[in-house]
Amino acid sequence: MPALVSKSLRDYRRSLIRWAIGIGAFFTLYLSLYPNISENKEIYGAQALAKYPGALRDFMGGLEDFTSGAGYLSGVVYQLFGPMLFVVCAMILGNRAIAQPEEAGTLELTVTLPIDRRRLVFERFTALALGLLAVAAATFLLVWLLSISSDMGVPADRILAAHTGVFLLALLFGVLSLAVGAATGRKGVATAVVGVVAVGGYIVETMGKGVDWISWLRWVSPFHYYLDGRPVYEGFPVGDYLVLAGAAVVLLLTAILAFDRRDVGV
Amino acid sequence: MTAVVETEGLTKFYGKRRGLEDLDLEIRPGEVFGYLGPNGAGKTTTIRLLLDVIRPTRGRMSVLGMDPRDPAVRGRIGYLPGELALEGREKAIDYLDFLGRARGGVPRDRITALAERLDADLSVHMGKLSKGNKQKVGLIQAFMHEPEFLILDEPTGGLDPLVQQEFLAMVREVRAGGRTVLMSSHVLAEVEHVSDRVGIVRSGRLVAVEDVAALREKAVRRVELHFDAPVPREAFEDLPGVRDLRVEGAAVRCTIDGRPDALVKAAARFTVVHLVSAEPDLEEIFLTYYSENEEQEGRHARTGVQEPA
Repeated sequence: MPALVSKSLRDYRRSLIRWAIGIGAFFTLYLSLYPNISENKEIYGAQALAKYPGALRDFMGGLEDFTSGAGYLSGVVYQLFGPMLFVVCAMILGNRAIAQPEEAGTLELTVTLPIDRRRLVFERFTALALGLLAVAAATFLLVWLLSISSDMGVPADRILAAHTGVFLLALLFGVLSLAVGAATGRKGVATAVVGVVAVGGYIVETMGKGVDWISWLRWVSPFHYYLDGRPVYEGFPVGDYLVLAGAAVVLLLTAILAFDRRDVGV
Repeated sequence: MTAVVETEGLTKFYGKRRGLEDLDLEIRPGEVFGYLGPNGAGKTTTIRLLLDVIRPTRGRMSVLGMDPRDPAVRGRIGYLPGELALEGREKAIDYLDFLGRARGGVPRDRITALAERLDADLSVHMGKLSKGNKQKVGLIQAFMHEPEFLILDEPTGGLDPLVQQEFLAMVREVRAGGRTVLMSSHVLAEVEHVSDRVGIVRSGRLVAVEDVAALREKAVRRVELHFDAPVPREAFEDLPGVRDLRVEGAAVRCTIDGRPDALVKAAARFTVVHLVSAEPDLEEIFLTYYSENEEQEGRHARTGVQEPA
C-alpha cells in the first residue's frame, strides 16, 4: 500500500471506528423498534400513514407502510437519517484529505514529499474510499443480522443494494468536499457546499415530486439517483448507481486538476 | 559544476501584493548559503517556490538541475518549514517513519541516532510536543534521508543554545560531505558562523550577495594592545588600515579596516603583554546595506510625490 494511503487510513482510524459505532447504534436503535411497529398496523400501516399531509409524506419519502420489513427499511432506515449520517461522516473525512491539513499547516511537508500532486490527491481519495467502504461494510453486516433477528423478511441482496447506494452517495459527498477543499483549501467552503447540496438535494428530490417548477431539479440532485430506484423493493438500480459513481469520478478528476494548478497554503 | 539553485527573474505576486520580484540567485554546490532578511521580506516565498509549494508569477528556476515541478527533485531535498505544524495523536517516531517511507526508505537507526544527538523524545504524541521539540522533529526529518540539498527556513527558532550548537555542527558536517545548504534567518548572527555566502532580501528584492570571509576581511574591528613599557606613537602612525589611533603610555587602541597584518608587524617590535580584538560586527555592515537601500527608496518615494498627477 502506498505510504500516503496507509498513513491517511491510520489518521482516519479513530474517526472511522467512532462513526461505525455511531451509525451502527442508529441502525440498532431503529431496527430494534421494528417488531413493536409492525404489530401496530392501525398507527403505522399504509392506511394510517395515508392520513398525513401530502407534502410531509413526500418529504419523508412517501410514508407507504412501516409495518412491512421492506417498507420500514426503505421508509425509515434508508430514507433520511441513515444516508445523512453517512454524508456527514464522508464530508468530515473528505475535509481531512486536503483542506483541514492545509489550514492547519501540516500539508506543507506532505506536498514537499517526492509525490506528484495528482497522485497525492488520488491517494487521499483512495484512503477516503477505503475508509467509507469499511464503515459501510461493518454497518451492512449489522443491518443484515438485525433484519434476520427481527424477522423482517427482506432478502440480503436488497439490503446490500440499499447499502451500496448509501455508500455511493456518501462517497460522492466525500469526494465533493475533497474537491472543494482541493480547489479552495478552505474547510468552511467545502462544508458549506456539501451542506447546501445535501440538504437542497434531498428537498428537491422528495418535495420536487409534488412541486412542478422544481421537479426538473431532481435530475441534478444526488439523492435522486439513490432514492428513485427504491433499492429495498427493486434491487440494484444499476443505471442510477453508475451515475453516482460517474459523478464521483468527475469530481475526483476536477479535484486532481484543481490541486495540481494552485499554490498551497497561501 | 551546475548550480544547485539557479533562478532568473523569479517573481511571485499574491494578487497585487509583492512576495518576491526579479530574483536572480545562484547557490553553488557544497556551500552553505545564508538567506537573510526581516520577516515578510520574501525568504519563505523564495523557499516555497523552490519546493513547488507555490508557483511563480513569472521567471525561471532550476533546483539540482531539474524543474521543481518534477516530484523526483523533492526526494533529494531536505526541508524544514519556517512554521512547522505537527499535530494529532500520532507519535513523532511514526510520523518520521511515514516521511521516510514516502522518500524511499530511511533506516530506523539513523532516525534514533539523530534523535539522540538532538536529545529529542520521539515517543510523544505530536500534538503534545513543545515548540523546541517540534523543531527537533523538523530537523530530524530534514536531515534523516541525507539529502543533497537542505533547505532550512529559520532553523534555530525555539532551540536552546546547546541544541543550536549541535545543529550548527550538523550543518558543518553536511558541508564537509560536499552537500549544499540554504538557511534563512532574520538575524545574521545565527548564520554567519556556518555560512560561506549570505544574500539579503528586503521587500521582495535581493539587495546583496556577499562572501562571508570577504565581509569579515572588510569588517572594522577594534584592537587594543598593551606593552611592557610605553611605546612611541610614531611606530604606529600611518600604518595601512589603521584608524583612530590612540597611544596612551604602554597602551595602543585603534580600529582596523580589513587585515590586521601591518599592525601586528609593527607591534612585534615591542613586547606585547596583552591583546584584545573584538569580534567584527557583521550585523553592522549589513545594516549599512539596509540603510543605503532605505535612502534610495526614500528618494524614489519623494520623486514619486513630486511627479504631476
